[in-house]
Amino acid sequence: MTNMTALAPVGEDTAEHIEREVSEIVSIYSCLYPTQRLNFILYEGKDPIWGAPTVVEGPFTFQPAHVNAEFLGQFERPGAHPGAPTVTIMLSVPRKPLPSEVRQMDAPWVPIRRLRAIHRLSPMLYEKIRYQAEMMRKRQSPRRHPRISLLRGDGSSLFPGRRRPESDKRPAILIGMHWLEVGGAEKLGFDTIRWALEAGLRVFVAASVPSIQRLVDKLPDSPDVTFLRLDRYLPHQLWPRYIEKLVLAENIRLIHIHHCRPLYESLPQIRANVPWVRVIDSTHIVEYADGGFPRSSGVWSNFIDIHHVISKELVDYYRDNFHVIGKVRLGRMLDRTEHQAGLPELNMQPGKKRLQAAFVGRLYYQKRPVVVVEAFRALAAWAKRNDVELTGKIVGEGPFLDTVKALLQRYGLVDRVALLPANSPVPEILRDSDILLLPSNNEGLALVCYEAVEQGCIPISTDVGSQAEIVPRDLLVPLEPQACVKGIVAAVDRLWRDAAFLSRQREALVRSWSAITSDPTAQEILMPLYQEAAADLQE
Amino acid sequence: MSALSKTAAVIVTFNRSAKLMKVLDALDGQTLRPDFILVVDNASTDDTQALVEARARDDLSIRYLRLPKNVGGAGGFHEGLKAAYGLGAHYFWVSDDDAYPQPDAIEKLLHALAAFEVQHEWRPSFACSRVEWIDGTLCEMNTPRPVWDWPRFLHPEAAWALVDSASFVSILIPRWAVEKHGLPIADYFIWFDDAEYTRRLSRSYPGIFCPESRVIHDTPDNRGVNFGLVDEKSLWKFKYGARNEASWRRREAGPMGVLAYAYGVHLQMKRGNVPWKLRQEIFRAIVRGMIFRPKIVPV
Repeated sequence: MTNMTALAPVGEDTAEHIEREVSEIVSIYSCLYPTQRLNFILYEGKDPIWGAPTVVEGPFTFQPAHVNAEFLGQFERPGAHPGAPTVTIMLSVPRKPLPSEVRQMDAPWVPIRRLRAIHRLSPMLYEKIRYQAEMMRKRQSPRRHPRISLLRGDGSSLFPGRRRPESDKRPAILIGMHWLEVGGAEKLGFDTIRWALEAGLRVFVAASVPSIQRLVDKLPDSPDVTFLRLDRYLPHQLWPRYIEKLVLAENIRLIHIHHCRPLYESLPQIRANVPWVRVIDSTHIVEYADGGFPRSSGVWSNFIDIHHVISKELVDYYRDNFHVIGKVRLGRMLDRTEHQAGLPELNMQPGKKRLQAAFVGRLYYQKRPVVVVEAFRALAAWAKRNDVELTGKIVGEGPFLDTVKALLQRYGLVDRVALLPANSPVPEILRDSDILLLPSNNEGLALVCYEAVEQGCIPISTDVGSQAEIVPRDLLVPLEPQACVKGIVAAVDRLWRDAAFLSRQREALVRSWSAITSDPTAQEILMPLYQEAAADLQE
Repeated sequence: MSALSKTAAVIVTFNRSAKLMKVLDALDGQTLRPDFILVVDNASTDDTQALVEARARDDLSIRYLRLPKNVGGAGGFHEGLKAAYGLGAHYFWVSDDDAYPQPDAIEKLLHALAAFEVQHEWRPSFACSRVEWIDGTLCEMNTPRPVWDWPRFLHPEAAWALVDSASFVSILIPRWAVEKHGLPIADYFIWFDDAEYTRRLSRSYPGIFCPESRVIHDTPDNRGVNFGLVDEKSLWKFKYGARNEASWRRREAGPMGVLAYAYGVHLQMKRGNVPWKLRQEIFRAIVRGMIFRPKIVPV
């Protein structure tokens, strides 16, 4: 690192930050190019997340733009021998995020410019237009995004496949995440990191989407866990070669993909060059527009050994679209140790004079926060008519926060509906609530429904994704925004008036909850695979 | 010959779960087992789906393609071959859900295709088994049609006759033939789809009949395809057959070809003393075949 002394006059914090990032960068590219002479050209990043890497293999010529105002300097990592080819890597070192950025990275949501007036006039009309656009995308999706698995040739016996080289390192797993932010897939991702460690594997974690990676501190504090900053410093087209080198260098036996696109795109390289590596993926939700990750997973199915899914809807999705059954494993996102043996009585009683409704979720369009507020508005009107004291709690943060605040203000609900931060004690809130509202645009199988049911809170949800597996048929409401709000009010009204109906819903909830809890959990499906990989390596 | 031999079995089924399970058992017992077994379910309403799913949970080679509606055998074989082609198979063993291959049936077909090519340099476009009925006699409806020089390469030690038409009951088709000639015609719905397809494949080179590869076809009776056998119950099938073959004749030989075909059908019905009402229906189907021009879909 011949030119690194140029950093000396810089403040200690900044220098430390840069040095730490440089060591990540060198580690990544040393793995990718173990023998080449590496020439790093560094720039000061303008944002806190993305290193904008550019890699030039072969001779490099400086242009004026290469020594611009952000130019930090350059340094070299010598090659394995004097004639080693040169690779030039240009990248920016992202700055540290500001406190406001750590809190919230997404800009507050605003309606699209042309429909802004409509949103001002009638938020529900705007929602309806957006809903219709979503449904149009859903209709067009099969044509635009075919559900056909990529073909994979196995080769001929004349040319035997590559064999696993001997390694003195303990077996390892590579867990690919979308990002390290709050979400259902990420929760499972973190669980699998923990399980892999428990199984005795060394764990490498990579994320595909550059972000602050706010949950990085939640990674287990263990020397066996390494977070690779590929999200910042490695262009997606170089992932396949990097993964191959990493597999060989670190004795990786398993790859587990959690919504990580460049890892899917690395599968041909993995199958061709390191075919002994077992590949698992986990999927959660079929997106309307393009099928989402379950479609990607199905497209790559011939390169994947096991598809882990969290709902029966997804089992059927793989069967119906990609014709695979045997390698699809249902493993619920439940922790048996955390779940009680039975369900408590419902918090709601017929004719109850004080009702509390809750919403728990990130304030993104997927959860339709505007419909949530409209539902609270309609419920408030219903409560007034029936002389019921209604309160509400909205737990969550996200780009729709300002919109939700404004709408609560506009509808005069500020004194009845409380906005709570995402780290609020959800179990307690649900224990105090009679109803959980979940008017989502789409869901896999919302975890919060499990929690609600276990706290005696009745979920009322849109009939999307696999929600029907936990929410009784009578408590599923249509997706169309106005019908959704009407459905919620009608369901609450009937639960409140009709004791027999309420009792039937409790029975239905117990049935579906029992059915779900009798299915294998994700841990029960995945742990044996991890243990097998760990044992195999230690033999 | 190709150094690659990944094989996919394509079985089209409709509401015959018990027989289908026997087919899957027979495939399990093959000396050379297909790498994939693709079950194409023509929207069965019996327990086919449950039984195949239960089996597929333990057998990763089984793929299950459930069609949203019954598109007939022709549509099923079209979809199945398309999907199997997408799996990257180099050979497609195509068969019915009521035909049980003997343990070495697929190995013998594969061997015959490879050996024929090595010995004679020509590349057969398919290889078909000897199809026997449940009593061991030749299954009438699955008799392949020989070409004029059928014994050209026939020897006592390799009794492979050249044929240009065979049924979709234990037939092995190489990938190159599908790549070159496309898929079976789905619009035929039922009957003559296999004859049309194998004749199309034979444009490259005829197929071979391999008597050493045997399969048992478990049909209710052993009847051939002869218009003298038309009755009220089977009329619907014969109508499809008449329409489809007339369409093919028009495509291959023009209107005169259809006239010749109609005359042949007429003679068969006359000899079989088929009622006039049914004969009229068959002739109407032949007329429909004149204007029926289904597309050949490439892979």
